[in-house]
Amino acid sequence: MTSYLLQRLVGVAVTVLFVAVTVFLMVRLLPGDPARVIAGVLASQQDVERLRTRLGLDQPLWRQGVIFLGDLVQGDLGTSARTSNSVTVEIGARFPATLTLAFASTVLAVAIGVPLGTFAAVRAGRLADLLVSTVVLFGISMPVYWLGLMLIIVFSIRLRWLPAAGAEGPLSLVLPAATLAFFSMAFIARITRSSMLEVLHQDYIRTAVAKGSTERSVVWRHALRNALAPVVTVIGLQFGELLGGAILTETVFAWPGLGRLLVDSIFARDYPTVQGLVIVFALLFALVNLAVDLFYGVIDPRVRYG
Amino acid sequence: MLALLLGGSALAQETFRIAIGVDADSLDPVQGTTTTIDNIVDYMAQTLIGIDENGALVPVLATEWTTSADGLTMDLTLREGVTFHDGTPFDAEAVVWNFERLLDPNVNVPRRGPYAPIESVEAVDDLHVRLHLTQPSPYMAGALTQTTAAIISPASVDMEGNSYENITHPVGTGPYAFESRALGERIVVRRFEDYWGEAPYYDEVVFQIVPEATTRESLLLAGQVDMIILPPASDIPALDANPAVEVVFGPSDRTIFIAINTTKPPLDDKRVRQALNYAVDKEAIVQGILFGAADVMDSPMAPSLFGYTSIGAYEYDPERARELLAEAGVEPGELTLDFMSPTGRYVQDFPASQAIANYLADVGITANVRTTDWPTYVGTITQGAESNETQLHLLGWAPAYLDASQQMLQFQQSQHPPAGLATSFYTNPEVEELIAQANSTVDEAQRADLYGQAARLIWDDAPWIFLWVQRFPIVHSADVTNVSGLPNEKFYAIYARPAD
Repeated sequence: MTSYLLQRLVGVAVTVLFVAVTVFLMVRLLPGDPARVIAGVLASQQDVERLRTRLGLDQPLWRQGVIFLGDLVQGDLGTSARTSNSVTVEIGARFPATLTLAFASTVLAVAIGVPLGTFAAVRAGRLADLLVSTVVLFGISMPVYWLGLMLIIVFSIRLRWLPAAGAEGPLSLVLPAATLAFFSMAFIARITRSSMLEVLHQDYIRTAVAKGSTERSVVWRHALRNALAPVVTVIGLQFGELLGGAILTETVFAWPGLGRLLVDSIFARDYPTVQGLVIVFALLFALVNLAVDLFYGVIDPRVRYG
Repeated sequence: MLALLLGGSALAQETFRIAIGVDADSLDPVQGTTTTIDNIVDYMAQTLIGIDENGALVPVLATEWTTSADGLTMDLTLREGVTFHDGTPFDAEAVVWNFERLLDPNVNVPRRGPYAPIESVEAVDDLHVRLHLTQPSPYMAGALTQTTAAIISPASVDMEGNSYENITHPVGTGPYAFESRALGERIVVRRFEDYWGEAPYYDEVVFQIVPEATTRESLLLAGQVDMIILPPASDIPALDANPAVEVVFGPSDRTIFIAINTTKPPLDDKRVRQALNYAVDKEAIVQGILFGAADVMDSPMAPSLFGYTSIGAYEYDPERARELLAEAGVEPGELTLDFMSPTGRYVQDFPASQAIANYLADVGITANVRTTDWPTYVGTITQGAESNETQLHLLGWAPAYLDASQQMLQFQQSQHPPAGLATSFYTNPEVEELIAQANSTVDEAQRADLYGQAARLIWDDAPWIFLWVQRFPIVHSADVTNVSGLPNEKFYAIYARPAD
């Protein structure tokens, strides 16, 4: 188990390094002079040159790369070109907001998605199943942006129950989390339904039914446990998505998270911050993946790590 | 995580909330590049000279200023009895220190340009400061109104997490003092009880960062903020009709135009450029696409600038456009132009560009409109003349301070890309001469006249399709009053208070 974990952690490090090199090269392929963009339209040529020197943009590419990787190995993501703050500080300041949002929406999505999918599987082919499938289809195809605005109009402007935007107090988490959870919830419900259907047709379920277990116990204790493996994979992936991909939701609800920081930084040609964020996202994805694999062992005793 | 959820829930009794669209790159006055953020810094740090609602210069931390007859020294008298938020006194030494920092090449100052003629700054006594200039610079008083030249406490430079190169906690002399900042989320300022001027009404002002215009509007309609800037343009008529809110159209100095690359045929022919101007019905676009949030240009600069003269208009006259094109030897259907437009940078920029392309089609010119992200856009239009393939591109230009010299940067050879941002590559020796004279003439009437002459020549040469001067929409709750706009795209809400 320990050697397996070590092996996997080395894998994570290699992945992150690979991503770091790639993103370093990619941001430099973008057209436009970052020094000019950052200095602003009214800056003098001398000031633009000075900024270029300060950002190291006057160095040859390989040299910039060496400096960048050297700093990275020491855990230094550099200094934001836009704000002059440390990139680590910038990312650190927004990380809790993104994590809170991702966590809340995942909990919400699982809490609704899994029972909904299970319920649909048990009632497969009947009206209830059809209803659930319709909701699922709706959830998967609904644009996040539109859903967010609708929720704001109903719950903030009309009913005045919930804050429309911002991150002040627990109530302000409700709308963005619900918006973000909607897609995941639908997706999780769909996977749970098909996984459950498969499990419900297996011999041991028939055995359980034959020996007189109640339907409730069969479905929720025996079947669901075994149907959950693919669902956990999906939850893990979705959580990763939510960490990085909540850009639209964060924008609509003015949520001060990493997605928005990424967009702002790209628009400002803030190379160090863009690099730092992509690397952090890569690290998060890799770690979430690892956590999902480890979790398999918990829910399915047949999975062993060699 | 818990702190995030619970943070900020303890609200002060009297809080004024403003939703803005961008987060601060920096709260350091010298490092700013965004008017919206300057606007916030202005609550905390003040300049020596300010501007009023009409764009006129008014005393702030300096009560008087005079320029010597040769234009080479400027004397300023400082306001007495002013203290910084940290309790240290505001005096000539503090001003000298701030100017030296502003001019220090080791400090990042994006808008340093206008201060280049300052050779040295001298403290004559506690309340008098003298600027020594390398050349007559009649626009210097205007330049001192920029937030870049705001004064912070020298004693605060290495406290509160500040460093000489980067101020994160500005300690100034303003009516409000810095309270807290959450990156990407909000900036909070608190009333400074020892403020030298009239005390504002609200204890606390919160600037909430809300990038999405529709969300800003929702926050206002839901009663969660008191004021927003830049609502979605298409909703302005509805907001105007809504009794719960009030729309204020702040004046602006931002001219919106289509720069014509004057170096390449047939656009190097003045008649073709004039034809482009006659071909577009600007008034119709302002009404139909900008929902009235602009005024059609009648001069190459906004009326709020010193040195502005009204010249006239290129009236919508497609017939005249066709004639001019024929005279220039451009047959209908023969000319195809590449037309770049940003999206979302200025009010309704891309839809307006599409409408303009339609008007050009009416006179037999095909204009292919395309758009890119802003950094790519700036990168493309600021290529040097040899490699610059752009033909038409829409751009906005807001002078850093309200002086014709700032607008004229657009019509000077020294400002052609890559050195500057005069992206139409326009040049006219007569205009160059007039601007150079105006920039160093101390007599105000004479100076204004010289800019007026230059403006007429530019208008006739038509290096741009002159479009409109944008207005700056501010929307506030009908429950508050005393909110207005300044002509440099700043809001003025320091003395906002509940409506009776």
